[in-house]
Amino acid sequence: MKMIGFIAILLIVFLVSISMGAVEINPFNMTDLEQSIMLRVRLPRVLMAGLIGAALALSGVLFQYVMKNPLADSFTTGVSASSAVGAVVAILLGISELIPLFALLGGIGGLYLVYNIASYKEYTQPITMLLAGIVLSTFATSLISLMKYFSSDGVSSIIFWLMGGFQGAAPLKVLSLFIALILSFLIVRRDYLKLDIICFDDATACGAGIDVNKMRKKLFFIAALLTAFSVGYAGIIGFVGLIIPHLIRLSGLVKASVLLPSSLLIGASFMMAADLIARIILRNGQELPVGIITSTVGGIFFMYLLMKRKKELYYFS
Amino acid sequence: MKIRLIVIICLLLLPVNLYAAGKIIVLYPAVSPILSELGVTKQVVGTTSSDETFKDTVKVGSHLKPNIEIITSLKPDLIIAGSKMTWPEEMRKSINSEVFYYNPKTLNEILEKITELGILLNAPAQAAKLNEKLKAQLSAIKPISKKITVIYEVTENPLRTAGIDSIENSIIETAGGINLIKIEKKNVPISIEKVIELNPDLYIYQIGPMNKSPQKPQDRYQFKSLKSKFLSVNELEFARPGINSFDETIKLNKFFQGLCP
Repeated sequence: MKMIGFIAILLIVFLVSISMGAVEINPFNMTDLEQSIMLRVRLPRVLMAGLIGAALALSGVLFQYVMKNPLADSFTTGVSASSAVGAVVAILLGISELIPLFALLGGIGGLYLVYNIASYKEYTQPITMLLAGIVLSTFATSLISLMKYFSSDGVSSIIFWLMGGFQGAAPLKVLSLFIALILSFLIVRRDYLKLDIICFDDATACGAGIDVNKMRKKLFFIAALLTAFSVGYAGIIGFVGLIIPHLIRLSGLVKASVLLPSSLLIGASFMMAADLIARIILRNGQELPVGIITSTVGGIFFMYLLMKRKKELYYFS
Repeated sequence: MKIRLIVIICLLLLPVNLYAAGKIIVLYPAVSPILSELGVTKQVVGTTSSDETFKDTVKVGSHLKPNIEIITSLKPDLIIAGSKMTWPEEMRKSINSEVFYYNPKTLNEILEKITELGILLNAPAQAAKLNEKLKAQLSAIKPISKKITVIYEVTENPLRTAGIDSIENSIIETAGGINLIKIEKKNVPISIEKVIELNPDLYIYQIGPMNKSPQKPQDRYQFKSLKSKFLSVNELEFARPGINSFDETIKLNKFFQGLCP
């Protein structure tokens, strides 16, 4: 029942998003110019926002399964920051068309590092992985600061790019993101039961016949890939991977079979709504970077939920 | 005795500013050509690493992050900075030097700053001469039969354009155009939808440190419906307020003339 509600929310947010923007457009009576704005600018942007929201939410859930830690997301695992290093290198080299590729390479490099640091004889420790991720994130952030320092006049370009946004949306990007997201979802969809079981201790999971290390490796790779895609296309957008899965859990949906698809739907709705606010909150067509909206709205909302429900959910149940 | 007298007379005939100004550090590269025109060259002891005018001076870091130790060691009498963010006023006491802020947003403000610099550096005559030269340059501007509407791209992604508080705005307006972004900011993050709706006659995009390798606007998927002409300009020449701003105004005016037969 809740899933139907989530689908309805997604559809409503999508319709509101495409009907509002810097330019007033009547979807039922469009001029040629309005049609062009709708098809070439607004629609690809709304779709890309939705897909990136879904991708970040899915990667957040997967990281939380891999790390067995509710605070894990693309930031704490270092993948976001290492992807951003790749993207900033591309900006500095003046090859902005290769930003997604560089972000992907950066993300894969980060993934390789974290996985190797946390692995010992084919075994991986989630807590070591989390620590390695935090260290990598700090290191990558300092590398970005160093590059910002040396870029001098170009520093504002890097700062604005890192704040995130969907202005670069184009059909090819939307399509590649859609394919990556669908493939990732289909792969993890087959492992719903295994995902529920690996939430217990490793011995229990192994006893149930699950190759825990292989499973973690696979999930980590998919989550990192989704993050790298997102950073490459839209910069760093915080909080989505962390708050969306929590929101779903707080609404009582904890089984992987509902948590994952719900995260996709709510992640997409949240990001489209955040982007809509970023597009219309200022007058005269000015825009805010979407990362500011997600972090502000998400942070406040998440804090409120934690304050309100911590008693029953975390401490005294 | 005769030789001594001749030397004294020669020294007295030299421009006054050669005696007046002490050591100068320039933290805003666009000022250096002005100083050079004012004849204030030997006094400049420090410049930023990107300063092309005074190549043999001590480099004191970048204009955004100048090195205080190097600056202190040069014992300057005057520091010329772009803004209080790069060189706070409080530094005046610790370094014990005067600070001159050079941050003009219009061509007229550039002329005013040149006059102020002339007085400060005891070269008012040279400043007046330079101002006359720049004003004479502007008199070459020809009226345009129709006002050309313009949007100036500062960065491609995210899209930021020049607002009212920018030298780009002043150049466009003086050259006979209208900047369609009527927002009182230097750089304005703007919606692509808005740009398409405004549909300017001319879309100028800068290439330089802030916009390293933008895709040609005419090739951008979102801009396919834009009927504008496109013009690329050098960021360092167009977006840095200085003597170059007057040259760019003339060039833009000529381009406008080509658009209005």
